[in-house]
Amino acid sequence: MWKTVLRRVLFMIPQLFILSILIFALAKLMPGDPFTGLITPDTDPKTIEALREAAGLNDSILVQYGRWITNAFKGDFGVSYTHKIAVSSIIGQRAGNTVFLSLFTIIMTYVIALPVGLLAGRYQNSIFDKIVVIYNYISYAVPTFVLGLVILFLFGYQLQWFPTSGSVDVGVTSGTFAYFMNKLYHLILPGLTGAILGTATTIQYLRNEVIDAKQQDFVKTARSKGVPVSKVYSRHIFRNSMLPITSNIGMELVALISGSIFIETIFAYPGIGQLFIQSIGSRDYSVITALVMLFGVITLIGTLVSDILMSVVDPRIRLD
Amino acid sequence: MKKIGKKAIVALLSTTLILTGCGGGNKDGKKEDTKNVDEAEKNKFSTIVENDEKAIEGGTLQAVIATESAFKGVFSNEFQEDAFDSQLNDIALGALFTTDADFNITNDGAASLELDKEAKKATIKINDNVKWSDGEPLKAEDLIYSYEVIGHKDYTGVRYNADMTNIIGMEEYHNGKADTISGIKTISDKEIEISFEEVSPSLLVAGGGIWNSAMPKHYLKDVAIKDLQSSDKIRKNPVGFGPFVITNVVPGESIEYLPNEYYYKGKPKLDKIILNRAIPTAVVEGLKGGKYDVAILMPTEIYPTYADLENVTVLGREDFAYSYLGFKQGKWDSEKDEVVTDPKAKMADVKLRQAMGYAIDKKAIGQEYYSNLRVEATSLIPQLFKDFQNDDIKGFPYDPEKAEKLLDEAGYKDVDGDGIREDKDGKPLEIKFLSRSNGEEAEALSEYMMQEWEAIGLKVTLSSGRLVEFNSFYDKIKADDPDVDVYFGAWSVGSDPTPTGLYGRDAAFNYTRFASKELDTLLKNIASSKSFDLEYKNNAFKEWQEYMMDEAVVVPMLNYYEVLPVNKRVKGLDWSRGGTNSLSWEKIELTAEEPLK
Repeated sequence: MWKTVLRRVLFMIPQLFILSILIFALAKLMPGDPFTGLITPDTDPKTIEALREAAGLNDSILVQYGRWITNAFKGDFGVSYTHKIAVSSIIGQRAGNTVFLSLFTIIMTYVIALPVGLLAGRYQNSIFDKIVVIYNYISYAVPTFVLGLVILFLFGYQLQWFPTSGSVDVGVTSGTFAYFMNKLYHLILPGLTGAILGTATTIQYLRNEVIDAKQQDFVKTARSKGVPVSKVYSRHIFRNSMLPITSNIGMELVALISGSIFIETIFAYPGIGQLFIQSIGSRDYSVITALVMLFGVITLIGTLVSDILMSVVDPRIRLD
Repeated sequence: MKKIGKKAIVALLSTTLILTGCGGGNKDGKKEDTKNVDEAEKNKFSTIVENDEKAIEGGTLQAVIATESAFKGVFSNEFQEDAFDSQLNDIALGALFTTDADFNITNDGAASLELDKEAKKATIKINDNVKWSDGEPLKAEDLIYSYEVIGHKDYTGVRYNADMTNIIGMEEYHNGKADTISGIKTISDKEIEISFEEVSPSLLVAGGGIWNSAMPKHYLKDVAIKDLQSSDKIRKNPVGFGPFVITNVVPGESIEYLPNEYYYKGKPKLDKIILNRAIPTAVVEGLKGGKYDVAILMPTEIYPTYADLENVTVLGREDFAYSYLGFKQGKWDSEKDEVVTDPKAKMADVKLRQAMGYAIDKKAIGQEYYSNLRVEATSLIPQLFKDFQNDDIKGFPYDPEKAEKLLDEAGYKDVDGDGIREDKDGKPLEIKFLSRSNGEEAEALSEYMMQEWEAIGLKVTLSSGRLVEFNSFYDKIKADDPDVDVYFGAWSVGSDPTPTGLYGRDAAFNYTRFASKELDTLLKNIASSKSFDLEYKNNAFKEWQEYMMDEAVVVPMLNYYEVLPVNKRVKGLDWSRGGTNSLSWEKIELTAEEPLK
């Protein structure tokens, strides 16, 4: 297996290289540049031209790419054109928030979805199951931004139980327990929104798998051998039903780390997704390219992790 | 203009607002109310809150800035580049000069200014009481440091412009040929003297040529100029001489301000200001629910959703911006750095341009699309510059009949009888119109305008077949794209309305590419030293405006209002123009422990 993993990792290098060429070219093909947005009657066009020259934007695209890729290899992704700080630190600031939010969302999703999905499958056609199915349809159909706004208005502004914006209150000392709790407090609403949306698919998968598994020969065999029903569910059916979920978990992580533009925008939560969209809007090339490369790496790793997990969960699948 | 461009994303959230039923409904009702609004209604807003309750001791003010995006947090006037940061800095950094309502510098602020026109020198004297928020006195070297940073070859901001090169010795310093700026001299610890190449009346206007801020040299001198913009001394712990001090920053999210105990006008009355950011629709809910006291940079597109809240007073005032129709009449010569007007351009006929202006009902657009927070513009000087307004200049009031007459006179006749006019030679005439996709009303508005033009017999089609986003828009008009004849642009002019940078022959921002000898003279008059005489200056502005209208170089469309929703527990807030042109944060008090619901 390790051989395969190594091979896959090595194969990532050309993949990322091609991605880097593509994204660099596409970013430069967009109309405008980071300085287009700076024109006001008080700014001198010559100053803007000088800044453009100093930033190397007047060089040929090959020269620019060469410079960028060499620096990127050294781990230097440059300075953000709009935020005026190093790309690594702006992504660092946001990535922390996003990872925190993603983990919270995933945990919430599974805490809700696993028991609900299993029970709904086990007691198919019961009232509980019907409620779950209806819930699923609704949460699947509701767009993120509508759900986000409803939750924000209800719990944030009407009941005022939770903070309505940001990732932490200003003035809380970083590193303390109070800081952590404050961050968690800010996570609840955006996390809940993400989790409610995430549960729909997971519950549906699990429920269907459980219903399918109930008809399988191995379950019938176990039952006829006299294994108690609860044990059949917890041992035989559960593990089999987890297969599609497991294959999905890697990609789900990827999606969450890339951030959710809607959730981050609505809750004014500074994360990666929003940073990405803003950077495209302001033509912040250095941030755009660094983020796409980051997404690329995470996606490749995510698929690999998924494959490894699959082979662990399902002995029939071997990586080599 | 930048500010206007950034508002595009509001569209998305305003749509969501209607979906969730949070106030989208009264929009139509609002439109009916505004039908009979006349000129007198323009000043319906107050700029001062009225609150007779007894103020509490101290208290925390909850401010919010309405934006989709994380703010950048560049806490330096020398480096900040957008409207959001400039608002954040306003609370803490301080300005050197105070002004009257027309932005003329009055000498009662942190520094006073004296201009010797003959010697082309300005003397700036620092008020003895002014101290930085770390207790150090404001010194001559701090004023000079601003110039030295902006002029430095490693400077990373955008403030190095013609105002800076107007200072003697600045270019030598900028090019590295001199270590200091020869035209700036220290007279004493509290006084500097600046020598200029040319003096113009702009120098006496805030933002018009003399830098209105300073940098704490004792605090910043150890940071290399190329690193200043990203340094913690500017991004986390800035030192200023404004009423409050930035004490805590969560990057992009929120800021805590505490009173500056060294503030030269006395210690502010509040204990604390907490500033958060939130999306505009959420800000409306927060205002309703008594979560916020002051909502800064509130988009006017969703004004009806917060216009009538019981616990909130909405202050309003005229903004610096105007929108306009620009007619492409030439090209930019990048060799000579000047405009070359093409007498054969499609839009070269003045009557055609005038007709297109008269064909549009600007007043109706302001009422129907912008709840009257944008009003018909009659000149290229925004209405807040009262001195330069002139009732004789009417702009292009809606008159489709006049428009048709003008076209008839100019020879644009419908030869083949299809209801569409052909050009003077009887060949088909198609005018290409470029418009931006900003805001939810953009699509409907451009449709409306094209219909109005069709009604007078002009075939106007969208350039590139659709609305374009901000960057493409400016790329196209900057490059004089042949596919653009008319465009719908906007400028935000700043506190000095001198138009040379926008309409001059050598101005790259002169996007219509129109220039003429008369215009050169008129612009020169405005900037000339004779303009120190107010009457002469007003007259010069008037003559220029008349010329621009007669030639219909551009057609002014709408003037903008800006609004500031304030919770009714706030007292002493003054948003009038004049003073330091800030919110007078130091005077603000509260009359209840929590914002009113």
